[in-house]
Amino acid sequence: MKRLLIPLILFLLLVIEGVALDILPVSLLKGDLVFVSHWVFVFLVLLAIFYDRGDTHFSVFYGLLFGLLTDIVYTGILGVYMFSYAFIAYMIHGMTKIWHANFFVTILLGTVGLIFVEIFINLIFSVTGVAELVWKDYLVDRLVPTVIANVAFLLVLYPIFTKRLIRWKDEQLSDSTKFNRL
Amino acid sequence: MKLIQKKRLFILLIGIIVLVGLIGYSLQDRDDETTAEQFIKDTVGWAQNLIHTPVSYVTGVFKNIDDIKNTYEENKILRDKIAEYKSLQYDVQELKEDNAELRDTLEKTESIREYNPIQATVISRSSERWIEQVTINKGTQDGIEENMAVMTAEGMVGKVETPSKFTSTVKLLTGFDQFNRISATISREKEDDVFGMIEGYDNESDHLLFRIIEESDKDLEEGELVLSSGMGGVFPAGLQIGKVKEVKPDEYGLTRMAFVEPLVDMYDINNVIVVERQQPDDNDSEGNGEDES
Repeated sequence: MKRLLIPLILFLLLVIEGVALDILPVSLLKGDLVFVSHWVFVFLVLLAIFYDRGDTHFSVFYGLLFGLLTDIVYTGILGVYMFSYAFIAYMIHGMTKIWHANFFVTILLGTVGLIFVEIFINLIFSVTGVAELVWKDYLVDRLVPTVIANVAFLLVLYPIFTKRLIRWKDEQLSDSTKFNRL
Repeated sequence: MKLIQKKRLFILLIGIIVLVGLIGYSLQDRDDETTAEQFIKDTVGWAQNLIHTPVSYVTGVFKNIDDIKNTYEENKILRDKIAEYKSLQYDVQELKEDNAELRDTLEKTESIREYNPIQATVISRSSERWIEQVTINKGTQDGIEENMAVMTAEGMVGKVETPSKFTSTVKLLTGFDQFNRISATISREKEDDVFGMIEGYDNESDHLLFRIIEESDKDLEEGELVLSSGMGGVFPAGLQIGKVKEVKPDEYGLTRMAFVEPLVDMYDINNVIVVERQQPDDNDSEGNGEDES
């Protein structure tokens, strides 16, 4: 039963992402600065750093699954979020082998991960012609606000979930050999 | 060690191939979404509805408190307006009866003006901001079909892009491109009406582009109302779209382009009306009618 908790949290984040944008005050959404919520990815960063062991890849697997769901529900162009979430989650998971997991490493990896995810998604969108973007405008109007907003969300999630994720890891992954094929 | 590296590279390559395949698959013109997609959308939509209802109730209470402050002023203005409306209502009633009578004598009962409204609530907005779409809480179960026009009390906001069983996604006017044209008109009292097409949304100036095909003798003025003309065969006539802001010649100098400001604030949509056009006789022309240029 406890194993379902993480997918449930991810699903909830996915659902709230869209509702929040509808309910947020209008003045926040208008104007030149645009921020995109990557709450699912922020949680994936925490999963990759605190939940996954060296030989398990739950964060990558959830990245594939919930990235695909984001694609279906919010964009209609399959594969974009799926691939970028999973790929960057894999990278972050790889980095945790080099660095010891603590607060600053989490923030650093989260920020770098978000920058890469954003650029990756927009690269694909601009190649496929969904978005017309001038890179200079994009950096100022979109990338910076997006990364700041999502790092703020990471700061909120960090104290809530870090200890729990480590506990769940000890409980659930001690004998698990699934998802370590990658 | 080398074997592991090769394995990783292999997986990455397969991933890229799958990615390209999926994008190619979803970018092609699909008529219907797969059942799996619809199911996922409905599930997420159901959960969103679950969260949206109480939250919007709470925000609604705050908004109401805000509104109460202005009530006195508004009441005064509205009372004046009501007096005007009464005479207007009488006129409209007369005209309607006249119209019905004349139609009867012509034996032409269907009009491109008529439609059935379906009420719906917006439950979420796409978190990817490149894609201007919202989700509403009505689907094919409630009679919603692809390409139906969606409006609020103020004017048109978009069209139904993909309906699933219990929810549907709506493409907002701000996301319209050359594949989603609306035939539109500016109605004039004495001269010929201006006809043209809404050809898409210009992100730089934040206006809809209205290409004028048939000019009128009199020049366009700022603030003139642009309505849907119903000629495209998809949207009914008379939906308010926006107001003219500026007129410019297009890049070839052959036609002119009017910049139209949408009437509805696209970031502040809560309740919408999905418009089902009453048009039993020429269903076959629907769907591709708007795309022709």
